[in-house]
Amino acid sequence: MMELFFKPKSVAVVGASGTPGKLGYVIVKNIFDSDFAGKVYPVNPKSEEILGYKVYRSVTEIPGEVDLVVTVLPTPKMTVATVEECAKKGVKAVIIESAGFAEMGGEGKVFQQQIVDIVKKNNIRVMGPNCSGIVSRDIVTSIYPMTKKVSKGNVALIGQSGLLAAGMASDIVENESLNINKVCSIGNKCDVNENDLLEYFGNQDDIDVISMYLETISDGRNLTKIAKKVAAKKPIIFLSGGRTEAGARAAMSHTGSIASNSKIVEAAAKQTGMIMADDFTELKDFAKVFSTQPLPKGNRVAVITLAGSVGVNVSDLCANFGLELPKLTPETTEKLKDMFDTPVSNPVDLYFSVTKIGFTKTLETTFPDAFRDPNIDAAVLILAGFEYTQEAVQKKIIQKIVQDVGKPVVVCMIVGYNRYKNVIMDEMGKELPVFPSLISGVKALSKLCEYGIKKQKLSA
Amino acid sequence: MAVNEILAIAKKEQRSVLTEIEAKQILAEIGINCTDTRLAASKKEAVELSEQIGYPVVLKISSVDITHKSDAGGVKVNLKNRDEVEQAFDRIMESATAKYPNANIEGVSVQAMAKPGIEIIMGMIKDASFGPVIMFGLGGVLVEVLKDVSFRIVPVEKKDVVEMIEEIKGKKLLEGYRGQEPVDIGYLQDMLLKLSDFVDKTPGIEEIDMNPVFAYKEGAAVVDARIILSAD
Repeated sequence: MMELFFKPKSVAVVGASGTPGKLGYVIVKNIFDSDFAGKVYPVNPKSEEILGYKVYRSVTEIPGEVDLVVTVLPTPKMTVATVEECAKKGVKAVIIESAGFAEMGGEGKVFQQQIVDIVKKNNIRVMGPNCSGIVSRDIVTSIYPMTKKVSKGNVALIGQSGLLAAGMASDIVENESLNINKVCSIGNKCDVNENDLLEYFGNQDDIDVISMYLETISDGRNLTKIAKKVAAKKPIIFLSGGRTEAGARAAMSHTGSIASNSKIVEAAAKQTGMIMADDFTELKDFAKVFSTQPLPKGNRVAVITLAGSVGVNVSDLCANFGLELPKLTPETTEKLKDMFDTPVSNPVDLYFSVTKIGFTKTLETTFPDAFRDPNIDAAVLILAGFEYTQEAVQKKIIQKIVQDVGKPVVVCMIVGYNRYKNVIMDEMGKELPVFPSLISGVKALSKLCEYGIKKQKLSA
Repeated sequence: MAVNEILAIAKKEQRSVLTEIEAKQILAEIGINCTDTRLAASKKEAVELSEQIGYPVVLKISSVDITHKSDAGGVKVNLKNRDEVEQAFDRIMESATAKYPNANIEGVSVQAMAKPGIEIIMGMIKDASFGPVIMFGLGGVLVEVLKDVSFRIVPVEKKDVVEMIEEIKGKKLLEGYRGQEPVDIGYLQDMLLKLSDFVDKTPGIEEIDMNPVFAYKEGAAVVDARIILSAD
């Protein structure tokens, strides 16, 4: 059933418009610009042609089968009427993007219930209402214009809020900051919910990482079961809204008075192995780390820096996030003895090596020698935004070394000139996880290590 | 009495709160060790039961209408002989009827005085989205002030209950702190598994409190328990 949403052979857009800027236009344009190769049927009683597609007056008027209907209509009443038409036509998948339903309470709730009644009776699956549907290479139903083709990446992003998910998708696609495969926003979740998508993405071989933001949890019991299965195969990064709900509930027991929504959600995450993110940046950042870096075998980290004081701070952060900074082996210490004035320690302060053999050479030899040490599972690489760093990044020296060593790395950029820093973060950010602060990099790496260790235990 | 019978009686009487005696009967039925607790409808019965159970004993008011037993002056502990039991019975009745004049009082529960152990709380609550959820924590002041507890969604596996106990900030207290004997963590894990299994298979239970549970070097005992049933 889910395939009808993500790989339809034909799609109708009800409420399509020929006027650039209108939502009904953006959706058709986004489909037009995507790789979608099936039939496109704009529906609007007042138009003849939109972007070269023949326009139909209603869903029932469309000749041939329609796999997916996307609606963007001004009133809930019109939406209900369209869903009824879909039932008549035999459509099995509908994305309702318009707002004005249960989220408004009152009448909106009644309209949403009418939709639920129709789809249950007719075996139709509905995404939404109040959502922005799907962003993927194969089809885009988002209400934000896509400026580039969506990547064929390995990350699926599930979002509840329509605007936010659409905004994040446009940003990610434009800036190529994350290897996205699909973004899916499910809005009011009157039918299709996070459990359907987790299960679907869990079974998709081209998706390695799932990032999910929810404001409400439709069926926590089922979520726990599904997430447990999926998280054993691939990481699920989870941001849960409404976690701070203060006073639990009107309970008669002690247990009930302590059991807040947030504590239960956190328990579910621990139990299933989902990785909790604390904000939207983390939702994206963690996905970046998990989708680009190999899983470490342990939590032993080398901190690579050019400034001693930064190393001290990052060591403290590592300790706070459960990462260890072991000594390098005697073999590595011996090998690197000419590069340092005192025996190499961890954090690895490259300053001495740079004064002896220069920056590029240090990156090419001293850095990988330290990183390859068998005591080390992963690295935090701290770079500065200067011209020579930019050069090294543009020549892909750092990227290549990281690839060669084959261990996970996070890069932190905290000093330097913006004109270099921005280029470095953009360029390197396409391949490696780059962070604007030490704490964000260390935290993300700690999540990767935690998952890596857990996964090893599972397969042991 | 079997679990189903107790639940059926409460349902028939349109009660959502089980008495402590009923709650402990259910827990005992599913293999959770509780202090010996029996109902005495009169002073005479209270003395008889005290002598059967053996001094010292605890007397608690037994009424579905009185949920905060201590606040109502309804709990007397460490009663060492017949005289003390008789006096305690009178005083409990006096203060309970004074504070709750309309309460339906069925008598007092007579309980063996549990030997002191590390205080634990275990419980369960039904969440609207996640269904039954179980809780483990350190009891007494620690749960009141620090809320040092952990939760898991039912059904749980062995690994989950191991982690639940590991997760507690004060877990050192369980491992034998400052010369104290360590408690029987395996036994506590087992209790949590039994609790999860029970609420998973028994619909209609809204909340459970086992508070306190005394944990010992070997085994543990539920000293007070309460079970709330779903409204429907």
